[in-house]
Amino acid sequence: MIPPPDGGACVAMVGKDCVAIACDLRLGMQALTVSNNFPKIFSYGDVHLGLTGLATDVSTVSDLFRYKVNMYRLREERNISPQTMANLVSSSLYERRFGPYFVSPVIAGINQTSGKPFICGFDSIGCIDFAKDFIVSGTASDQLFGTCEGLWEPDLVSCACSGDMG
Amino acid sequence: MAALFSGAPPQGGPGYSFKQTPTMAPSGERQHGFYPYTDNGGSTLGISGADFTIMAGDTRSTSGYNINTRYAPKLFKIGGEGPDNKGARIVLSVVGFAADGDALKERLDTIVKMYKYQHGKPMSVSACAQRLSHVLYNKRFFPYYVHAILGGIDEDGKGALYSYDPVGSYEREQCRAAGAAASLIMPFLDNQVNFKNQYEPGSGTGHDLQAKVAQPLPRDTVESIVRDAFTSAVERHIEVGDGLQMMIITPNGVEETFTPLKRD
Amino acid sequence: MDSLVAQYSRPMHAEEGQTYEDQQELSQMTPELSLKFALPPVASSASWLRAMTDDYSNPNCPIKIAHGTTTLAFRFKGGIIVATDSRATAGNWIASQTVKKVIEINNCLLGTMAGGAADCQYWLAFLGMQCRLHELRHKRRISVAAASKILANLVYSYKGMGLSMGTMCAGVTPQEGPALYYIDSDGTRLAGNLFCVGSGQTFAYGVLDASYKYDLSDEEALELGRRSILAATHRDAYSGGFINLYHVKEDGWVKHGFSDTNPIFWKTKLEKGEFSNVTADLV
Repeated sequence: MIPPPDGGACVAMVGKDCVAIACDLRLGMQALTVSNNFPKIFSYGDVHLGLTGLATDVSTVSDLFRYKVNMYRLREERNISPQTMANLVSSSLYERRFGPYFVSPVIAGINQTSGKPFICGFDSIGCIDFAKDFIVSGTASDQLFGTCEGLWEPDLVSCACSGDMG
Repeated sequence: MAALFSGAPPQGGPGYSFKQTPTMAPSGERQHGFYPYTDNGGSTLGISGADFTIMAGDTRSTSGYNINTRYAPKLFKIGGEGPDNKGARIVLSVVGFAADGDALKERLDTIVKMYKYQHGKPMSVSACAQRLSHVLYNKRFFPYYVHAILGGIDEDGKGALYSYDPVGSYEREQCRAAGAAASLIMPFLDNQVNFKNQYEPGSGTGHDLQAKVAQPLPRDTVESIVRDAFTSAVERHIEVGDGLQMMIITPNGVEETFTPLKRD
Repeated sequence: MDSLVAQYSRPMHAEEGQTYEDQQELSQMTPELSLKFALPPVASSASWLRAMTDDYSNPNCPIKIAHGTTTLAFRFKGGIIVATDSRATAGNWIASQTVKKVIEINNCLLGTMAGGAADCQYWLAFLGMQCRLHELRHKRRISVAAASKILANLVYSYKGMGLSMGTMCAGVTPQEGPALYYIDSDGTRLAGNLFCVGSGQTFAYGVLDASYKYDLSDEEALELGRRSILAATHRDAYSGGFINLYHVKEDGWVKHGFSDTNPIFWKTKLEKGEFSNVTADLV
């Protein structure tokens, strides 16, 4: 049985030569708000990873990727690119195909080699959704889908991207 | 720890006065042979302005993954003269179970027409709104499976919009989306109509930011918001599409428009 | 055999269309607030209704009825304070942020709304009608005790049918002074000084009990009501929106605003230093 997710939402979006990623800070157990300061975005160099779902898995998965990204940096002597990170997240999640982490990750970052913005999302077992516009995840994903689909347009500049729609 | 709360009612809230105590989770859920409802999908929305109200709905009717028809209107004129409701100034939109919606519309239409015969004047929207609430509540124990929105022009000539839950609790609002894509459209309307989470540019940073104050929108703006809302919903919801039916209620009457939407 | 023949030998279209009674009912315009309710054609209508509408025991129920609330009312030397939030939820979906949960029964009686929104709206409107009829019949205003008892008896007669309401009746009359009653759909009717009702009641009680005393001044009492609702909207996800504040005095009730919680929250935090659990920094 899938445990009820602890509430939380995350959205990533592409603008003109930029990306934005945002999350809420609430940690709740159904109706009860337990914490008001539980960030769901974790930064690994040039790449930002948003994690929504079961709070305990959010912590576990974020720590796991901190370890994996640090090991990558030591081995390769460079920061991990968003594209490589996407494949790392995908394969790591699929390792748990029959006992998944209950998270739906979102990645946002700028590829330092090409200078191009990059975003993508995943389901809980690692299927990658390469979107060119926006990615949403979490318990308010319906609402975020509606808002983003209504307001997003190509080449939003950074203040419109993060301010108006955040 | 989370299991402590799952399934149980929120702490302390007024419970239901059913004879049996609530069974926890769906383990061994009780099945009822009597299931008179089908969800026919689709979405509706209404926005009221200074001197007009716009009601809109898509025209797809679904059951499960099947499309029953690509043209099943969800908007109905209420009152007026004869079967074509000539001269009507009230529009009802219903989404949910189409048969219940149809029955509800017939009921309300009869009531509003009877009112005019008996009182010699058309029913006001506020009276019609209250009456609709009572019609819905009269089936409190066998509800109409519908989300209704009622639009019209009030006694002061302002746009009036009332929204309902299936058993008749109602409220006058500026805007409301209902149906399958309500969760997609409603936050968009909050932002674009009531300016929620919008701030006056240059009014400061952080806590100094001044919230933008909502004011009634002009008609062409509202029409384009409605179109945007539906084209967006069509992109992300399978039960919405085919056509967009709009009714614009002004003191001069009801204008009806139809625009095609994506049919995939 | 005869009964079988009788059963099937009706004219073909006898049951089509509306019966004479149905037509009469439509044309004679039944009273707006009636006590005649349609029932589903099953043996146990209550358990059928539960399967269709109760999202506590069945989160996938097809019809989600709006509920979830924090409401409070307390008696003090200057009268009665009534305060509510304004959020209506259906499952996790916020159905509305602008519900008026204080129902003005007449100019000195107030009712509050918790539980099923439609149940409260309908039955408090019904109560308003009964109170007015009482006034016309007896040439004096109804007491709060009597009004609350009308409601309690009414919901008790529907016990087991699935009504869901937790309501408070607050009013001031010459014979009783300020009076406050709690009535719920189980049929409970209690008189008291202080009640909180709804999913956020525990949070409201926490703040209210800590600083409640009967000798509060009007300003202190209003602020305490507001602060208790604010605490509940902060911790209870099913409460939020706007704070609706009323003060009931001898010469009727006075409304003290329908104000957005968000600016009040930040004002309370930044100016009074409360809610230190919340960070005010942007990064």
